[in-house]
Amino acid sequence: MNKVWAVIRREFIERVRTKAFLLSTLLFPVFIGAMMVLPALLLTKTSGVKRVAVLDGTSVDFGARVNNALLAVKRGSGGDASAQYEPTLVVTGGERMEAVRDSLIAGIGLAGETGPSLNGVLILTDEGLASGRLQYFGDNAGSISAMQELEGTVRPLVTRQRLEREGVDPMVVMRAIGPVSLATQRVAEGKLTGQSGGATFAIAYAMGFILYMALLIYGIQVMTSIVEEKSNRIMEVLASSMSPFQMLLGKILGVGSVAFLQLGIWAGAAYAATTYRVQLLGLFGVDAAASSGVSSMIPSIPGSLLVVFLAFFVLGFLLYSAMFAAVGSMCNTVQETQQAQFPVMFLIILGLMTMFALLNDPNSPLVMTLSYVPFWTPFVIPIRYSMAPIPIMGLLVSAVITILGMLAIVWVASRIYRVGILSYGKRASLRDLWRWVRTA
Amino acid sequence: MTTHVVRVDRVTKRFSGHTAVRNFSLDVPTGGMFGLLGPNGAGKSTTIRMIMNIITPDEGKIHLFGGTKSGRDHSSRIGYLPEERGLYKKMKVKEQLAFFGETKGIPHKDAVRKTGEWLERLGLSDWTDKKVEDLSKGMQQKVQFIGTLLHEPELVILDEPFSGLDPVNAQVMKDVVLEIARSGRTVLFSTHIMEQAEKMCDRIAIIARGEKVVDGTLSEIKREFGHRFVALAYHRNAEAAGRVLQDRKLVAKVDDYGNSAEVELAAGAESDALLHALVEAGVGLNRFEVVEPSLQSIFIAKVGADAAKAVASGDSR
Repeated sequence: MNKVWAVIRREFIERVRTKAFLLSTLLFPVFIGAMMVLPALLLTKTSGVKRVAVLDGTSVDFGARVNNALLAVKRGSGGDASAQYEPTLVVTGGERMEAVRDSLIAGIGLAGETGPSLNGVLILTDEGLASGRLQYFGDNAGSISAMQELEGTVRPLVTRQRLEREGVDPMVVMRAIGPVSLATQRVAEGKLTGQSGGATFAIAYAMGFILYMALLIYGIQVMTSIVEEKSNRIMEVLASSMSPFQMLLGKILGVGSVAFLQLGIWAGAAYAATTYRVQLLGLFGVDAAASSGVSSMIPSIPGSLLVVFLAFFVLGFLLYSAMFAAVGSMCNTVQETQQAQFPVMFLIILGLMTMFALLNDPNSPLVMTLSYVPFWTPFVIPIRYSMAPIPIMGLLVSAVITILGMLAIVWVASRIYRVGILSYGKRASLRDLWRWVRTA
Repeated sequence: MTTHVVRVDRVTKRFSGHTAVRNFSLDVPTGGMFGLLGPNGAGKSTTIRMIMNIITPDEGKIHLFGGTKSGRDHSSRIGYLPEERGLYKKMKVKEQLAFFGETKGIPHKDAVRKTGEWLERLGLSDWTDKKVEDLSKGMQQKVQFIGTLLHEPELVILDEPFSGLDPVNAQVMKDVVLEIARSGRTVLFSTHIMEQAEKMCDRIAIIARGEKVVDGTLSEIKREFGHRFVALAYHRNAEAAGRVLQDRKLVAKVDDYGNSAEVELAAGAESDALLHALVEAGVGLNRFEVVEPSLQSIFIAKVGADAAKAVASGDSR
């Protein structure tokens, strides 16, 4: 056991010390922080006060309404609120319309004697109101969000104007088309969980994806490091002092503990970023309320789900890294592994696809069946658990089946590993593998 | 029984199609230096790997330290230097060696301490914190060598230990190995260089094409092989000498030149006995020189020139 411990420690220390580990571990929290701050930051910074000329050529004095509506648009909230627009109403009509429009457009972006320059010109005409196609010329016309905002301000006014023209009371219509929404609440074991359906979906999705990523990143690390040990010829020194099973166990647990450390740091960073979102945003001078559109990224995860997830995550990691180890042991070069790893990758990708099928319908018979196949249990069970209640018996049966299946697969993998690590030359064929498994 | 640290008992190993080792037996007594000789591809490494339980024999048994436990179970008592050297290139020398020590079952602290001592002894103290990949080939060999000996094994098995070493480093390692053999521990090493084995080994076994050709102590082998000559010259009592040389138990053939002679010793006879008989008879000796056949010539005579060619030209590195 001390030997296994020595291998675990070597794997852990050597890996954690690499620059690649440091960089990836640190960059991810930075990335999360950026994801949190940047959208809010952009939202504030792009919206300086816009000077907009409202050129009214309508016969119904529509320009005044738009002018007032623009004046009312605020950015920020509470005491800090300031005006979003600085509108100027220009009323004209008939033939003069085009000339005035052109002169206004010519002033966009140029600071003249009359004051600071215009940002844009909104043109209102009777035809525009009728067809619903109004024109705006401006230096910020390229900004999708700015245009959406402007459109959002003008649209209800146009609707109102049209209703009035038809003699309908706008208030009646507003009441009639008031929104209808479905407030979803997840129920587990007859109790309200206080979670919305959407949050559950996000959790389930994230869990499956974390497992998928961890298998790809760290499973492949197990595989390539075994190939390297083979090509370094260090295998023979190791094989003379400990059993292949000890080597395999130490390798997988060593890499696994690195995976746990890194994922733990990432999860901690994500949790901290969510919890201290307001303070974090404050650091960058962003008012939290202004960023209310950026919803918190991590919904709270109930404790029992976390336990189920971690348990099956560990099982899945052991299962797949043993398979990756077997693949590594039968290859001589990293290039060779790229073909040889295909069956394992196929199983993992199938697991991910199962997850999508599951998100559609947690209770489909296919999913039920897959949740008892060891290859996919680690993907299926935590998500099933998060979406619809699984009785404790069902969980236990799945866990036991997974553990038994895992032991069987690890056993086969370690048999292959045992012979593979000391065979050089031609890559093993399926028949060779079968012989390796059988030999005493 | 227990005086044999390694017993290889009628072992056969086949690899897809060809037989690497056939019905091979070997007894290595405790203490001293044992050489396993043979050309490349003779089955030396296969035999050693079977002794280490890295591969298992198809037939036959291997006993270590008088028991049936495998090489891996005894790994704390055995130091093994494989033919294909291997180190973790990115690891620091110190940590690498401490790790090797730990895999042999020494506690981490002791392993670190012993690493320091050994690095000092082999003149690598300045390289303690360097990565293995920054070391020269020769230094890497030394590091690997330390890794083999760090846990002070009773049995040291070295597969081609001196190949690829410059003379200075080879000398350093030879001294270390000799010291181990003199301290009562056992060194078993393989080589394809006959002269080396002849100089260092107490006992040898020659293997060719997977089969044992001969084994025993160096003098036994030479005695059994025969073709040992003694060159004599005397200044007094030549007639007495002539009488002694008639003894067919001692002498097989004589070329007598009056005051000197060239004598071929009889099979199984000791040169000491001849010297004793001559002195007893009152012969005044000017010269008594035993000319023994070299291991190389015995090897060629036993194995045939074809197999021996691999020795002369077949250094794979």
